[in-house]
Amino acid sequence: MSKFLEVENLNVSFPTEDGLVQATNEVSYSVGLGETLAIVGESGSGKSVSNLAVMGLHNAGSTNISGHAWLDLPSGRVDLISAKPEELRALRGKEMAMIFQDPMSALHPFFTVGKQIAEAWHLHNTGSKRAGLARAVEMLDLVGIPDASKRVNDFPHQFSGGMRQRVMIAMSLINNPSLLIADEPTTALDVTVQSQILQLIKDLQKEFNMAVIMITHDLGVVAEVADRVCVMYAGKIVETGGIDDIFYQSVHPYTRGLLASLPRLEQSSLGHRLLAIPGTPPSLINLPNGCSFAPRCAFAEHVGSGLCTSTTPKLELKREDQWARCHLGASDVSRISQLQIGATING
Amino acid sequence: MKISIRKAIAAGSAVALTAALLSVAGTSSATAASASPVTGGTLEFYTNGEQFANLDPQRNYTGQHLAFTSAYFMRTLVSYTPTAGKDGFTLIPDLATNTGVPSNKAKTWKYTLRDGVTWEDGSAVTCEDLKYGMSRTFATELFVEGPAYPIQWLDIPGSGGESSYKGPYVKTGQDLYDKAVTCSGNTITYNLKKSVPDFNYYMTYQASGPVKKSKDTGDKYDLHPLATGPYKISKYEINDEFVLVRNPEWNKSSDFRTPYPDKIVVTFNVAEDLRDEITLKDSKPNAVNLDGLAPANNIKAMEDPKMADRRWNLFDPYVSYVTANNAPGHLDCLLVRKAIFFAYPAQALIDLNGGTKYYGEPGDGIIKPNLGLDYAPTTGNIHDKNYKIEGNPEYAKQLLNDAKKVCPATVKRVTDPKKGISYYRTDTATSKKVATIVGDGLKKAGLVVNVSYKPSGTWNANLEKYKTETDLFGSGWGPDWANASTVVPEMWGQGCCNYTSNMKATGAQAASYKLFISNVNKALNELDRNKQASMWKKLNQFGMDQYWYVYTAFTKTQDYWGSKVGGVDFWDPQGTWIFGNLYVKK
Amino acid sequence: MFNFVVRRVIYTLILLILVSISVFYIFDWIPVDAARLICSKQCTPALVEANRIRLGLDVPVLEQWWRFMQGLFLGRDYGQGAAAFHCPAPAFGYTFTRHQCVTELIAKTFPVTLSLALGAFFLWMVVGVSLGILAAKNRGKFLDKASTVFVLVGTSLPTFLTGVLIIIFVVLKFNLIDPLQIGNWANPFTDPVGWLKAFFFPSLTLAIAYAATYTRFTRSNVLETASEDYIRTARAKGLSEKVILRKHVLRAALAPLVTMAGLDFSGLLGGAIITEKIFGLDGLGSLSVKAVFQTYDLPIIVATTIIASAFVVFMNLIVDIAYAYIDPRVRIK
Repeated sequence: MSKFLEVENLNVSFPTEDGLVQATNEVSYSVGLGETLAIVGESGSGKSVSNLAVMGLHNAGSTNISGHAWLDLPSGRVDLISAKPEELRALRGKEMAMIFQDPMSALHPFFTVGKQIAEAWHLHNTGSKRAGLARAVEMLDLVGIPDASKRVNDFPHQFSGGMRQRVMIAMSLINNPSLLIADEPTTALDVTVQSQILQLIKDLQKEFNMAVIMITHDLGVVAEVADRVCVMYAGKIVETGGIDDIFYQSVHPYTRGLLASLPRLEQSSLGHRLLAIPGTPPSLINLPNGCSFAPRCAFAEHVGSGLCTSTTPKLELKREDQWARCHLGASDVSRISQLQIGATING
Repeated sequence: MKISIRKAIAAGSAVALTAALLSVAGTSSATAASASPVTGGTLEFYTNGEQFANLDPQRNYTGQHLAFTSAYFMRTLVSYTPTAGKDGFTLIPDLATNTGVPSNKAKTWKYTLRDGVTWEDGSAVTCEDLKYGMSRTFATELFVEGPAYPIQWLDIPGSGGESSYKGPYVKTGQDLYDKAVTCSGNTITYNLKKSVPDFNYYMTYQASGPVKKSKDTGDKYDLHPLATGPYKISKYEINDEFVLVRNPEWNKSSDFRTPYPDKIVVTFNVAEDLRDEITLKDSKPNAVNLDGLAPANNIKAMEDPKMADRRWNLFDPYVSYVTANNAPGHLDCLLVRKAIFFAYPAQALIDLNGGTKYYGEPGDGIIKPNLGLDYAPTTGNIHDKNYKIEGNPEYAKQLLNDAKKVCPATVKRVTDPKKGISYYRTDTATSKKVATIVGDGLKKAGLVVNVSYKPSGTWNANLEKYKTETDLFGSGWGPDWANASTVVPEMWGQGCCNYTSNMKATGAQAASYKLFISNVNKALNELDRNKQASMWKKLNQFGMDQYWYVYTAFTKTQDYWGSKVGGVDFWDPQGTWIFGNLYVKK
Repeated sequence: MFNFVVRRVIYTLILLILVSISVFYIFDWIPVDAARLICSKQCTPALVEANRIRLGLDVPVLEQWWRFMQGLFLGRDYGQGAAAFHCPAPAFGYTFTRHQCVTELIAKTFPVTLSLALGAFFLWMVVGVSLGILAAKNRGKFLDKASTVFVLVGTSLPTFLTGVLIIIFVVLKFNLIDPLQIGNWANPFTDPVGWLKAFFFPSLTLAIAYAATYTRFTRSNVLETASEDYIRTARAKGLSEKVILRKHVLRAALAPLVTMAGLDFSGLLGGAIITEKIFGLDGLGSLSVKAVFQTYDLPIIVATTIIASAFVVFMNLIVDIAYAYIDPRVRIK
């Protein structure tokens, strides 16, 4: 059985004056209806870029895209990458929707929220202006905006950050899409508001039985909503697996590094420090041979004959339903990391 | 001082109107009107100006406009003869039966209106119309532009240019005016408070002319003054066009004029480039250029042999001068003034303005040959054997040396690099060039010129003050009519605006200056015109012997017309065409 | 919104009062004595004083202003006794040089200035904005590069040069139009062709420099707006590129143009001196220049100065209100 969205070998690159920026490299992932896939990575890792490619939101003139992104529609499978712009446009907002990081700049400042929401509805439905507005009120109500019938005539700047994100959600979901891509939807919001928004997305996912892709750099968010996780680094997926596998028995040193940088309540005792990953991500122009993470990887020296710097690792099955792009085996990692943590504490 | 519209425009601002340049008579006629005049056709004029400065008779003070209006449509009691040459100065009766009958030592003047003189509406011109017209010169709440001699002359109390009579609109003091000017049938009598032997010359001014009370529209009368001559206004649109057509109510037997063209059109607001092109290419052969040409085109046109019979280059009525402040503490030493005169770089200054050919020549007095009767060559000054047009610093040094014995303090001051001769000028670029030439020229004789540049915007407002402060001061002048009575007293006499009249001189000079003033007043009251002329000549000589002026120039004018314009003659008293003689050739 | 408008209108009225008062103070302060300038040979102090009274300069500056204001609303009387006459409201003064109520002169010259300004405004807005949009849409392509050349040439050519070039080529070289028709006033309602002939080339001259500026401004604004997040949102909704450009991009990109265009236009309503001079148009600009340099006709100078500044002040109000209408963020303060 195929998943609702299957991304296969997606390559996105931007030609620049300095050279070709390989933003994503052979990226593959999939998400089913009712499922939430979290894509995690630092900025520049290619997590947003790959999803903008899925949505067809890249500038056609200045972006090279190859690979496939299959959408399993009742009418048949459609490859979003090779689809004609018009075909893709008909799907945007209808079958798939996207919400963005900064809800203030993502809403047009000159139009009322009602107009902006209704516009999305009118695009894919026929109906009077009044019907569109009524639908907008309905959606605002659904996303928890109090007094929606009045506020529908307000402008974006009259809403708080969290409320604006609710408006964005209302707008993106007005046509009952099967796929919602949420690109860092809570990053710009207060912590208290963050979980409300995440909860709202979860609730609505259940209600509409949507496939959700949650793009984030925040593992806390991942833990809250994801069923599966993709970890991206330097344009590549470095590890993917179920939520528990990733959190409790991650294989890739980068994933482990991310987890180690996460504050945990149970580790608040003295002697435990948050561990930052040393170094910075590589430039996406002319990636070096070998593993992209190798220069920052504490484990690379434990792998024999300079394998990490000479040979690019493949995404391999390390455990059941858990894949990682690393020359180390699953058991190697946990063994070595134990040693290292000990060394850090003693040192 | 009639105002030259041309020079005012050339100077680029209205400031020039009051500052300087004034008018009188030219020398000779340019071309003899050989062929007999043709009647009919349209005679045209073109100008860059927006409008006539003033057509309202009581406000008209511009030489060219006075000549234009009186030639075509607004008659006065007396006119100048429309003839080229000296005969042009001769007064002839116009609305009146004669040129005026003085009595009571020229304190009373009588004129009788001709029969058959009419307004353009057919009604007769009456004595009351004449009386009403002149009364308007008193209406200073509305009219300040015209020659307001009646305020000084008529037997009405008043002082400082202010009269107890306030004009026909406000009517304060109307009874005083009614006593000064009286009507008896067709005879009008003017009663003056002093002798004015040349009162009849003032009668050539539109300001003395008639205005019909019922047609007086106050300030707006300027736009359509009622005609008494052979033409009348059919259109006057400022910025656009002025059209005269024949006046059917005009009675040939009542007038000396013979109208030639059927129609006369003045086009205003012609761009300067276009204006010059029309003249150079003769593209409007039936038209006369009222402005002259821009300097570069002027020389081009003057040197073009093909234009020989479409131009003239004549002495205009003006004298340009630099006067020396002879008040104590200033240039109060005759030998010093004389030294400055001989050191003055006249040639360089004339060259700066276009050379002797087109700008003018050094003059020998304040009376120009154009003035006819009143002019005689003076002795000394430019006729002195030591005079050099480019300046004679050696001779000037000699004079300064002599001066050291007589007035050492003054010599010391004018040769002291820290003090020197003070010279106020406006701060324009041209003005600075002039100052540099003068400074360099006088330096050769060991004289120091200390120039103060004053903002041109405030120049006029401070003129009276500046005149008392500076040692040298440049300006220009021309008579109001063909009599040096409007020159010598204005320049050097009592009622003058030039500071040489501020004669606070002491010692020997004081007596001779007082004598001079009393002689000026005698000449003003002299009823015998020939006697008066010889008095003006002597007074002119005296002023020049005193070297009150360290430099004078008799300036020239160049004018142009189209090839189909006939009857071109220079009217000396007005310094412009004899408009009435112009006709359009077939 | 209503409160906003009321507030702005009140500000504007206060500003107008202050501006007009300062105009009177400025002309009082500049060291040119208008009363003396018109004075003739027999310039006695009495005559200068009479002229001062005639020009209304004999009273304190504030009173001069107050009389001017009264004249605007109630009309104004000039002269005395039998020769007194009346300029009906709105009276901007009376010129004793041209023997007319200044209002009549303005009524005659303003249509010329308005025609020139409207024509130029129309041309530069259409050309500048559409070229800017096209350049932005075709960024980096031939059209964009061509527009860059136009911008460079247009902004570096001074009006007096373009005007003269247009005259040389259009009139003298190719005889496309009778030179007498250029600038010759024709009523646009009864003689639209004549009006076009009169004002097309002067308007074009004036429009070129502005069009270049507006092209550059539009292009960069459209590009900037197109990269805004909310445009990505619009695209994510599934809107077509046409609708995105027309509705979402242009609305935001052109909003700042309202301010710019309003102020530029109001500036022209005071008279485009150079263009009027080149083509011999008798507009407000020529009227002011001639009043200053030929006769120093103070009543005209004061009136045109006040009118020109009033246009700018009023246009500021209109622009503010229009901008508030366009950009809802401005309304809430």
